[in-house]
Amino acid sequence: MFSRQLQSYLFDVTGLVVMIIVFYFISASQSIGKIFSINMPSSFLQLNTIFLSILIEAIPFILISVLIAGFIQIFITEDHIKRWIPKNRFAAIFVSCVVGAIFPACECGIVPIVRRLISKGVPTYAGVGFLLTGPLINPIVIFSTYVALGSKMAGLRMGIGFIAALAIAFIISLLFKSNQLQHNGAGFSNTAVNTGKQHQSLFSKLEDMLKHAIDEFFDMGKYLIIGAFVAALVQTYVTTTSLFILGDSVAGSSIIMMALAYVLSLCSEADAFIGASFKNLVPSTSILAFLVYGPMIDLKNTIMLWGAFKTKFVLTLFILITLIVFLLINLITLL
Amino acid sequence: MFMRFQHFIRALILAIFAAFIIKLHYTGEIMSYINPRYTLMSKIAIAIFLFLFLIQLVRIWENRNHTHNHCSSGCHHDHDHSGSFSKRFIVHLIILFPLVTGFAFAPATLDASIAAKKGLMLPQVNEGTASMGEHLNRMGEATDEKSAESIEPPANKDDSIIQHTAPLANTNYLSKEQFDKEMEKLTTSDIIQMNDNIYASYYSRITEDPASYIGKKIKVSGFFYKEDGFEENQFVLARFLMTHCVADTSVIGMLVEFNEANDYQEDTWLEIEGEINVTNYNGHVMPFIKVDKLKVIDEPSEPYVYPAMIKIV
Repeated sequence: MFSRQLQSYLFDVTGLVVMIIVFYFISASQSIGKIFSINMPSSFLQLNTIFLSILIEAIPFILISVLIAGFIQIFITEDHIKRWIPKNRFAAIFVSCVVGAIFPACECGIVPIVRRLISKGVPTYAGVGFLLTGPLINPIVIFSTYVALGSKMAGLRMGIGFIAALAIAFIISLLFKSNQLQHNGAGFSNTAVNTGKQHQSLFSKLEDMLKHAIDEFFDMGKYLIIGAFVAALVQTYVTTTSLFILGDSVAGSSIIMMALAYVLSLCSEADAFIGASFKNLVPSTSILAFLVYGPMIDLKNTIMLWGAFKTKFVLTLFILITLIVFLLINLITLL
Repeated sequence: MFMRFQHFIRALILAIFAAFIIKLHYTGEIMSYINPRYTLMSKIAIAIFLFLFLIQLVRIWENRNHTHNHCSSGCHHDHDHSGSFSKRFIVHLIILFPLVTGFAFAPATLDASIAAKKGLMLPQVNEGTASMGEHLNRMGEATDEKSAESIEPPANKDDSIIQHTAPLANTNYLSKEQFDKEMEKLTTSDIIQMNDNIYASYYSRITEDPASYIGKKIKVSGFFYKEDGFEENQFVLARFLMTHCVADTSVIGMLVEFNEANDYQEDTWLEIEGEINVTNYNGHVMPFIKVDKLKVIDEPSEPYVYPAMIKIV
C-alpha cells in the first residue's frame, strides 16, 4: 500500500521535474539562439530550416511506423510469419513486393518495420522486396505522379519499379542466406517472449508494444536526424545544375537524375513535382529514373539502413538498386 | 525501486519534441517549414509524443524485476541499453541537436542563394557559358522529341493541381467551381492577378502557351532573383513552390525585363504590374513581363506558394 502511494508520488514529482527541465531547455536554447544568431551566416539558418522541415515532415510517419514495429514485435510471432510467408522463394519475393505495393509507407518509415519483420524471421530477400515497393508503389504516389506527369509516366513508374524490386530481391536472395541485421546476436531470438506471452494480458502487451515503439524511435531517430542533416547540407551548398556537366546522352542524364534523387532525399509523395520541373531539361526516361530510384534508396534512408543492417549488406543493396534501375531505364529507351 | 537515468533522459526528450511541435503550431512557425495542408499530421505527432512521454514516465521508476516479469529475457533490450555510457550520451546529443537549433533559431525564408542552388528549371536559362546553354538546349530538344514519340504529355492541362478526395482543414483548398472561376479569369479579366492561391496554376498555363497571353496585363509579386547568364536588364520575379516541406521546394517565376533592373538587390520583394510579351530564346518561346509599374514591398507573411488543390465532393 505504502509502496503504491510512493510510486504515484514519485510519478508526479518526476513529471514535474521533467516539465521544469523542458522549460529550462527551451529558455537555454533560446538564449543560445540570441547569442549566436547575430554571427550565424544566413546559409546556416537556411540549412537549419531545410533540416528541420525534413524532420517535421518525416516525424509523424516515423512515429506511426515505430508503433507498427512495436506491434509486430509484441503481437506477431515467428510462427505467424512462418505460416504467412510462402516456402517457395519466388513466391515469397512476389508476395513481399505485392504486400509492399499495397502498404502505404514512406522510405524512412519503412526501415524500422522491415528491420522488425526480418528479426521476426521474415527472409531477408522478402524484407527487401517489401522495403523497395513500400514507398514506391502506393495510391498517394501513383496519384501525385499522374497529376504531375500524366498516366503513362505513372504507369511506367509503378511497372518498372515493381520489376526492379522483384529483380533486386531475387539477387539478394542469391547473395545473402542469413539475416543481415546488425545486432544479430542471441538477443533477437524471441522464443522466450513467445512462451512468456501466454500469461500476459492484452493491456500489458499494449504497454510493451509502446515501450518497444519508444526504443525503436530513439534507435531510428538518430539515423533519421543525421540523414536529414546531410540532405539539408547538400541542398544548401551544392548547385543542382552543377550535376549537369556529365554528358547529354540519355544514359548520362539518367545517371545525373539518379544522383539527384539520391542526394535530395525527397519524400516519394512529393518527388513527382520536382521530377516534373526537369521536364524541359532532361529526357523523360531520365525523369523516370529519378522517380523509380529515389523512393528505393536515397541519402537519408541509406543512413537509416546502415543503422539497421550490416555495412556490407547496405553497400550491396545500394549497388544493386543503382545497377538494376539504371539497366531497366536504359532498356526502356530501346523499346 | 530505483531511478533509471536512461529512461529519464528519454522521457525528457519525448516531452521536448512535443513542446517543440506545439510551439511551432502556437507561433504559426509551422507554416515556414511545411505546407499548411499537412499540419494535421504534425498535430497527430504531438498527441503521439505526449502519449509516449507518459508511458516513458512510468518506466523511469520501474522496478527492474518487475520489468523482467513482463518482458522476460527474450525481450531483448537490443536497442541502446547495451552500449557504453559515452555512446548513449552521443546518441542523445544527436537527438537533442535539432531541438536545440529548433528553439534557438527562427525559421528562415528561403532566399536567392538557395534559388541559385536549386536552379530555375527553364530550358532558356543557361549557366552563363554559351556552351552550357547550348548543351542544355540540346537536352531540351531531345526531351521534346522523346516526349513526342514515347511519352505523351499529361492529358490534364492543369499540371499543378492535386486532386484530393479527403478534404483536410486548410486555406489552400478550392472547390471545383471556385477553381474553374479562377482559371476563367485568366482569359476574361483585364488584368491577371497572380494571387498566391492560384499562382502555380496560372504560372503553368502561361508558360505552356505564352503566345495566347501576349498583351495581357498582369500583376504579380515575388522576390528579385538573377541567374548567371541573364542580360543586364533581365531578372526573374521568383517564388518558391512548396509541395510538402521546405526541402522539396522548386523555384518558379516570371522573367522580367526592366531597364533599371540593376538598381535592385537580390531577395528584394517587388510587386510588378506590366504587360506579358514573349521572346524567343534559342527556339523556345518564353513569356516575360514588360514593366509598367514597379514597387518594393515587404516580404509577405506567407512567402511560399503551393500547388492548388481541388476539393472533389
